[in-house]
Amino acid sequence: MELIKRLGLNKNEVGNESHITVNLDICKNCIDKPCTKVCPAGTYEADKEKILIVHYERCVECGAALFACPYGSLKFKYPEKGISYMYG
Amino acid sequence: MDYDVDVAIVGGGLSGISAAIIAAKNGLSVIVLERGEYSGSKNVSGGRMYIHSLKRLMGNKFKDAPLELPIKKETFEIYNKGRKTTFSFENKEKEDSYSILRSKFDRWLASEAENNGVTISYSTLVTNVRRENGIMVVESNRGDIRTPLVIESDGAASFVSRYMGLSKLDMNYKMENIKNISKNDNFIPKNFMLGIKEIIDKKPENEMGEAKTVLGLSGDIKGGGFVYTNKDSYSIGLTLKIDSIETNDIKSYDIMEDYREKLGIDGKILEYSAHLIPFYKYDYLPKRYDDNLIVTGDAAGFLLNDGFTIRGMDLAIESGMIAGNAAKKIIDSKDYSDTYIYEKMLEDSFVLKDLKTASRISSLFGNERTFNVYPSMISNLIDTMFTVTDNPRKNIKYALMDEIKNNNISYFTVINDLLKVI
Repeated sequence: MELIKRLGLNKNEVGNESHITVNLDICKNCIDKPCTKVCPAGTYEADKEKILIVHYERCVECGAALFACPYGSLKFKYPEKGISYMYG
Repeated sequence: MDYDVDVAIVGGGLSGISAAIIAAKNGLSVIVLERGEYSGSKNVSGGRMYIHSLKRLMGNKFKDAPLELPIKKETFEIYNKGRKTTFSFENKEKEDSYSILRSKFDRWLASEAENNGVTISYSTLVTNVRRENGIMVVESNRGDIRTPLVIESDGAASFVSRYMGLSKLDMNYKMENIKNISKNDNFIPKNFMLGIKEIIDKKPENEMGEAKTVLGLSGDIKGGGFVYTNKDSYSIGLTLKIDSIETNDIKSYDIMEDYREKLGIDGKILEYSAHLIPFYKYDYLPKRYDDNLIVTGDAAGFLLNDGFTIRGMDLAIESGMIAGNAAKKIIDSKDYSDTYIYEKMLEDSFVLKDLKTASRISSLFGNERTFNVYPSMISNLIDTMFTVTDNPRKNIKYALMDEIKNNNISYFTVINDLLKVI
């Protein structure tokens, strides 16, 4: 099943403002973009023009990306609402 | 000194609520600050709890706990190049662990805590914690709380410890190939695993719970899989070392998709979830106490894997209970900076003892052989023993010796690894 469909199964109250920020000056030199591989929700997407797109609305708040970026580019705080699991 | 509550607990998961129940029973005023709209709403676990600590925490209320199935069957599955080796152990009398769904379970535990006089403030996001004139100020979207003692139960990402400067991210590596960076012993992603999980809508055939540990279905990424049966569903998922995901070329969610397909468990997916798992070496566990602060559960890095059992939830409950008792002693002493008593009590408990015992074998989970070489060796060996050709047959001992030789590892290494297991 496509990731987006899998994410659509969850109740996620997304805020108007991103709870994740990245420093594109750092990201533009990053070759491997480890955040794009680690994040289980596909929140981080490498892009030729925009360097890195952050789809913060996909985030499931696992916190993995926070520990994944070796260059200190990523700032993450929990959103006020966000994900609510039914099973967990 | 003026303050609002004796103890503020950040995080209303297993360890936070357990700490709250005990602290309240000890006569302390307690508030739990929970980020989710209910306890468990942000929580995910693989899905099996060893229940000994829960029984002690809940006494005769234990029988009401919304657990799923008692695990009576343990299965290991090793996949390797189209081959699958399985072994199972079954004990119909066994009831020391249950499959569990945290959303339902934590909610129940939280309501039990509320019945015991604990205040839980939901939808409360702690944004900072600071020390001021010998007490703590916990800042949140619902205002500040002043307290002499904070119990940090906020999970593996441990924001409170980072607000207090106890644990630092310090991720400022020079830009270079990530394979080189990941060779650093102190590379932070090595301390964590990513858990990805799906709930599958499929009723298990019987009421006898089964736990499966699956090896060899995460490609080159160090990690393993699990399958637990619940009353009406299956919990399936992977735990993957984050440094290993970073140095491979496949995305974590694609590995999960692949894993489900290879397992062949059919049924509608009901939920897709993920969670951070602590994976520290014993000697590098985060600091668990500081002035006005004690740390429990995942936030303290309490995860144990000895190859047979994987435990986090009983360690969370136990460390929470210990924190609740330590809190009473700290508050009574009126010296809120001296929290060492908590560490002392942890040392005397099974929490640190079991983690230490498991630490020898845990070192195996950091090495390549465990995830790649040994599964392939086992598959090759069994394959050889079940295969008949024109060639003269080898005794199993020689077949094994050939396998070791073909994989370029020394007998010494194999024996050394084996000794870690037994």
